[in-house]
Amino acid sequence: MGKLIVVACGAGINTSTMAEDSIKERVAQEGFSDVEVKRILMADIDGFLGRTDLIMVVSMMKIFRTFNVPVFQGMPFLIGSKQEKDELLDKIVEVIKKV
Amino acid sequence: MLEFNESLIAFDLQAKDAQEVIGLLAGNMHAQGLVSAEYGAQTLAREMVHPTGLPTKPFCIAFPHADAEGVNRSALGVAVMHQPVKFQNMADPDEGLDVMLVFMLANRDPEEQIQTLRNLAVLFGQPEKLVELRDQATLQAVASWLRRELRLS
Repeated sequence: MGKLIVVACGAGINTSTMAEDSIKERVAQEGFSDVEVKRILMADIDGFLGRTDLIMVVSMMKIFRTFNVPVFQGMPFLIGSKQEKDELLDKIVEVIKKV
Repeated sequence: MLEFNESLIAFDLQAKDAQEVIGLLAGNMHAQGLVSAEYGAQTLAREMVHPTGLPTKPFCIAFPHADAEGVNRSALGVAVMHQPVKFQNMADPDEGLDVMLVFMLANRDPEEQIQTLRNLAVLFGQPEKLVELRDQATLQAVASWLRRELRLS
């Protein structure tokens, strides 16, 4: 079964794309072939939480609830230094490897 | 192709609030036929519900945008503020941020503008670059600085 990562933002098309792009690039570098990165609207998240292939939520907004999978705050993908971006990607890779 | 030219830049702008900045930048875009007449109102409506202020260092920035509807051609508008203007924090809408730079991206398709989005994310992450942009002496200097840093044609 594949591994699904959803990147959620408020409404727009731009900010979640920035995070999605960074994660996809790293996923390709690591050679993970079974990982899907999908950007969604936060309002639609409930439709994804029941999916058995969901392994992680990356949220561009403040996280105000709990999920049954690991959650990361994705703001560093927009405004973090290169080091901060890489550190967040390291944590994401760790989760991918564990599941 | 991303439209970017000097008429899309507001330099040393004195504005009382985010609404005024968004209205001005959207008006510049509309004057060139890049977006519909309603694009400013759409962007403002979205900003109210899903704000786009970002807590960058050493001062904050904002990244207002609406959906692709109303965008005829993708474009970037920029405001360099004379004094800070309040935008709410994207990550925490209850928090007001003092914004000195506003990047308004009218985007038809994020995939199409992926390289510009990448370059913006690199820029947003570098405090010394944001200061450099804020401190450009003229509107023309702002335009050429952005062309170079964002690799816009």
